[in-house]
Amino acid sequence: MGVVLPVGTRKGLFLLRSDDRTKWEVEGPLLEGWAVYHAIVDPRDRTLHAATNNPFYGASAHRSSDGGKSWERADELGLPEDGELKLNATWHVEPGRESELWLGGDPGVLFRSGDGGRTWQLNQGLFEHPTRDRWQPGAGGMCTHSIQLVDGAMYVAISAAGAFRSEDGGDTWAPINKHVAAEFMPDPYPDVGQCVHKLLVHPKQPERIWQQNHCGVYRSDNRGDDWQRLDGNGLPTSFGFPLALDPDDPDVAYVIPEQSQEHHYTADGRLGVYRTGDGGASWELASDGLPERAWVAVLREGLAYDDDAIYFGTQSGSVWTAPRGAARWTEAARDLPPILSVEAAPA
Amino acid sequence: MAIVLLPAVLAAEAGGQKRFELEAATVGDALQQLPVRNLLFDERGELRRLINVFVDGVDARGGRLLEASRRHSPRSRPSSPAVRSASTAPAS
Repeated sequence: MGVVLPVGTRKGLFLLRSDDRTKWEVEGPLLEGWAVYHAIVDPRDRTLHAATNNPFYGASAHRSSDGGKSWERADELGLPEDGELKLNATWHVEPGRESELWLGGDPGVLFRSGDGGRTWQLNQGLFEHPTRDRWQPGAGGMCTHSIQLVDGAMYVAISAAGAFRSEDGGDTWAPINKHVAAEFMPDPYPDVGQCVHKLLVHPKQPERIWQQNHCGVYRSDNRGDDWQRLDGNGLPTSFGFPLALDPDDPDVAYVIPEQSQEHHYTADGRLGVYRTGDGGASWELASDGLPERAWVAVLREGLAYDDDAIYFGTQSGSVWTAPRGAARWTEAARDLPPILSVEAAPA
Repeated sequence: MAIVLLPAVLAAEAGGQKRFELEAATVGDALQQLPVRNLLFDERGELRRLINVFVDGVDARGGRLLEASRRHSPRSRPSSPAVRSASTAPAS
C-alpha cells in the first residue's frame, strides 16, 4: 500500500508520497509562511490538519479537505480574553472519538473541536488544573505535545508539567508521574513538573505506555500508575525527544538519543536510532544506512511509524525511512527546511 | 473610507485579497474588520508584538495611531520586519 508522509517544517508543510517506500515524490511547500509543528491526515475523512505557528501572526490551526490545495484557518483560536495567559503556540493535533479532534498547545493547554477543526474550545479541566502553578516551561515552551486516546482513557503530556490521565473524556485530569524523575527540581520525584518529551500508548496493549523524558526513557505497564526507568542498558544517553512503537509488538520501541540536555544533537556524533525488542531491558543500535558521523537533531514529533515502516526527519532537512524493524535506512528526501514533525498515513 | 493593504502571508489567509476598502472610525476599527484580525491581534485585543502598521506611511507601531480618528482616507499597511521591505504596496 502506498504511503503519504505529512512533513511539518519551519517553512511550511511538505507531502512525501510513495507507492513502494523506495521512490518518493515531494510536494510543497504548502502553508507557506507557517511553521508546521505537526500535521496529520485524519484517517476518518482524509482531511489534513496542521498545528501552525508564525512568529508575527501567532498560533493557529489549519485544515484542508482537498489534499492541501486550499486551506481553512481555525476561527478565533485562543485563551480567555480576561485571563493572564496567551496562546503561544499550537503543537499537536490528534483525532478523538467519533468526529472530535484535539489540539495541544503552549502554555500547557488543550482544545477540543467537534466540527472538524473549524472551531476549537478550551479544555477547562486542564486549563484550571489545581497543580498548574507548579508547571514550568521547558526550552520549547510549556507545550502540550502528546495526546493519546486509547481504551476509554485519555492521556496528555506537557513539558514541563508531566503526564496526566483522564477517565471522563477530559473533564478531570490525574497526574501520572510516579517514579518519573525531575532531576532539575529540588524534589527530584514530585507529583507534577516532570519534563516529558514524548508519550505514546501502545495501541494494542493500552495498559502499556512509553515515554521519552528529559530524565530518561520510561515504561509503564499499568496505564501510568507508576513507571520504570529503562535507560543505562544500551542507550548512550538518557536524553532525547522522539519515540516510536511497533503497531503489534508492545515490547518494541525506538528512540534517538541526544548528547545531553545542553547539547541537542545526536549522541556520540552519529545519527543513532536505538531499538528495544524486550520492553526496554536492552537497546541496540539500528542505524544501518544512516551516516556514521552526524551532529543532527530529531525533534519530538519527528519520528513516526505505520504498519510497514518507520520514518524520521531531521532538523537538517532529511527524511529517513526503514522497513519495520529498522534493519536498513534509506533517505526519502533531503534539503528540506528544518523538519519539525513527521507522520505517516495510507496514500 | 480606509484602504488597508496586506502583505503576502496575510493576504493568503484573507482568501488571496490584498486590498480592503473599509468604513471605519479609527485605524484599529478598520483592522478589526479584516478576516485576518486574529492574526493581527491576540486574545486580549493587543496588536501582536511583531506586527507593524503604517498609516499614511507613518509607523503606528505601539498602537497610538490605531485609535486616532481617521482624518482623510488613510492607507493602513499591517506588516512585519520580515516582509516589509518586500512589499510592493505603494507608499501613500
